[in-house]
Amino acid sequence: MDIDDILREVDPTLHEVPQEKRDLQDLTRAWVAERSAPELLNWPSGELFERINDNIKRQIERVEEMTGDMDPKTNFALIVIQTELERFKYLVRSYLRARLAKIDRHALHYLSTDELRARLSDMELAYATRHQALLHNHYLSSFLSSFPPALQNLNDTAGNIAMVDLPDLESAVFIRLLADSMVSGRGVDTDNTFEFQESDIVILRWSDAKPLIESGRAELV
Amino acid sequence: MPMYGDLGNKLVQHAKRTQNLQHLPAYQTELVRSVAREVRDLDREVASLLEPFQDSFDPAAEQATACTLLVNHMSMRRNKRCLLAYHRTRTDKLEELVWSGSDLLDLAGQQAGPGAANSMNGPGDSNSSSSLSPQEEDYVRQYGDLLAAYKGHWTDIDLTGSLEPPRDLFIDVRVLKDAGEIQTEYGAINLTKNSQFYVRQGDVERLIAQGYLQKLG
Repeated sequence: MDIDDILREVDPTLHEVPQEKRDLQDLTRAWVAERSAPELLNWPSGELFERINDNIKRQIERVEEMTGDMDPKTNFALIVIQTELERFKYLVRSYLRARLAKIDRHALHYLSTDELRARLSDMELAYATRHQALLHNHYLSSFLSSFPPALQNLNDTAGNIAMVDLPDLESAVFIRLLADSMVSGRGVDTDNTFEFQESDIVILRWSDAKPLIESGRAELV
Repeated sequence: MPMYGDLGNKLVQHAKRTQNLQHLPAYQTELVRSVAREVRDLDREVASLLEPFQDSFDPAAEQATACTLLVNHMSMRRNKRCLLAYHRTRTDKLEELVWSGSDLLDLAGQQAGPGAANSMNGPGDSNSSSSLSPQEEDYVRQYGDLLAAYKGHWTDIDLTGSLEPPRDLFIDVRVLKDAGEIQTEYGAINLTKNSQFYVRQGDVERLIAQGYLQKLG
């Protein structure tokens, strides 16, 4: 929810938001969410990143065209565009790096089922698979190959301890409600359900917040 | 007589220490080898213990043997986890260094002087005083390739760039080491030591990361 969402409520005719602006909002939202959620979220659908990449390319070309111009007015515009470009790039970079960090930490987990693999983009999937193969190879050549064959796996579950580490789905997150809704959370002693209103901010377990986020009734902050 | 698991414990302590260090300490080749050997010894012992029973081992009837077997199995798995933890900590560290653009020479803790800007160092790097095991050097090389491949999809966004949100387009920098001439869209700048410039951040980010320039203010 930002100023445009509010304006749109006041004046519904304003809802003709240009695609570029939508994309920026989507990107910002995805970025905030990815950085606060303890587990990897879905790769945004609808070719968001293709469009963003195209936009960045276009702006870079624009900057190059304008550079030759010595007119002070163009020069000022140039600085504005470049600043915006740097920020845009930062968002994408930070977003991708946040995802990669999560993938690296729990690579075997995210590669284990089709459902989880679907969250990764094709590039990320290729990266994760290759990275895991590299790691396994490294373990093998460093020590694992001298082990008895029965002990060479990386996914033992002996002694009820799985070797594949999972993200902590019970860690706390802050969410902002986008619509009035009932929020139920599990506590240490008791579980509770409260009625909250739009734009209330709630802290609760990620596993409880997830359904609200996925249904679009709340966003991570 | 050293207890089972003592060696593994040492490895984990090394790993723990590594987490808080700036550089990467030397690879514990001997220790890793001993722990792996311990695993093999244990496995052999298990096999020889089980041999007289010929697949008809009954844990209830032979409780003492069953207990030994259990302890042996647990020790093997524990050792394995220790080894994995040790190597993973080190590879994490190595990946971090690859991301920050250090080259193999830097990683090995040799001269702090920056070499070539690329992270590949030629296959002939077999310095005996390196703190990396040969396997780790391989790993760094391959991970560098992998990272380059992933970055190739995002050519317009320098993925290894700063993760600090950009505030100003232009920044003041001081030159710490001669870096020669760089081309910017406002013309060429000659970076000589101790001079100071007001430049576009995007143009000099790599040079800051490599220690040629220092950001002021």
